[in-house]
Amino acid sequence: MVLSSLITPILIASLLIYCAIKRINCYATFCGGVKNALSLCLELFPFIITIFVAISLFRISGLCNIVSNLCAPILSLVGIPPELCELIIIRPFSGSGSLSIYENLLSTYGADSYISRCASVIMGSSETVFYVATIYFAQTKVKRLLYAIPVGLIATYTGTILSCWLCRIM
Amino acid sequence: MQKLWLVLVIPSLIFMIINSPQNSILALTQAGSDGVSLIIKLAGIYSIWLGFLALIEKSGLDNKIASFLSPIVDKLFKNTSKEAKKYISLNISANMLGMGNAGTPIGLKAMKELNKDHKSNIASLPMIMLVVLNATSLQLLPTTIISLREVAGSLSSTDIILPSIIATTVSTLLGIVLVKLCHKWKKHYGTQ
Repeated sequence: MVLSSLITPILIASLLIYCAIKRINCYATFCGGVKNALSLCLELFPFIITIFVAISLFRISGLCNIVSNLCAPILSLVGIPPELCELIIIRPFSGSGSLSIYENLLSTYGADSYISRCASVIMGSSETVFYVATIYFAQTKVKRLLYAIPVGLIATYTGTILSCWLCRIM
Repeated sequence: MQKLWLVLVIPSLIFMIINSPQNSILALTQAGSDGVSLIIKLAGIYSIWLGFLALIEKSGLDNKIASFLSPIVDKLFKNTSKEAKKYISLNISANMLGMGNAGTPIGLKAMKELNKDHKSNIASLPMIMLVVLNATSLQLLPTTIISLREVAGSLSSTDIILPSIIATTVSTLLGIVLVKLCHKWKKHYGTQ
């Protein structure tokens, strides 16, 4: 834990020292890089709002709960506790949404319970597949993503099943 | 994407009309404001990392990192421009170090590079590979999750590290293999 929080400051300090030795104008270069951040966010803006509309409607309408109840028996067949259904359904769409479900699980079941440990490994080993695909392809003129999303989902959900198995034995 | 969006939105709205029509405005406006606050947060985060990225590029460190990772990147991303490979290497290393927030803007730059010499509107193999790599998580140390567990009172917050590493390695490798298989399959049977 201590080690991991050291990574970022050490890397940045070494980068700055390296640049200073190479006599690069760090100040001007940093400014120049920052310049592009806002235009990048403006490009992402419409895509993010559009995903959020779908996720928000899906969750607030209560449809999400129903789908997760329907999925529960199937998931428990492969060894995933039914309590994790909602997390698993929302995870590919929204990082902030899945994080709030995750925090809820932690406070409901206790941080060291089997369910919370499964949820932690799932959160730690997966990404927001749809979100990543949307913002990455937003940078291109590509309209047909072919097998990108199915492959991402299959790989992610295999990781999810594996996470729950690992938590049982580790 | 369009189909998926409608599949989520239309049934949710119908369900809402039946059960709780009063919630629809709340859901829509909340989506808008959540989206805007995420964008503002991202603008702040990306500003910082794009600033440091400029330093990495100016100092020539990007080429060093790229040549260090080239055995892997060259294999996964054949026929890709040098510029794109450089961003891909930086994207992979930032993600592996657990700086996903730094990895995303760099990955987006890589995507733009890949788009430069791409004519059709169908995704190319390197594009799909990059998206799948990022979508299956390359992060080795789940720092956010560990600190959240600690806050929630866990006595052994780090015991999830090893299973997370195993799970994310398996899912990433599976993603790579599936992309390669799908690509072969598509070539074999022609584009649908």
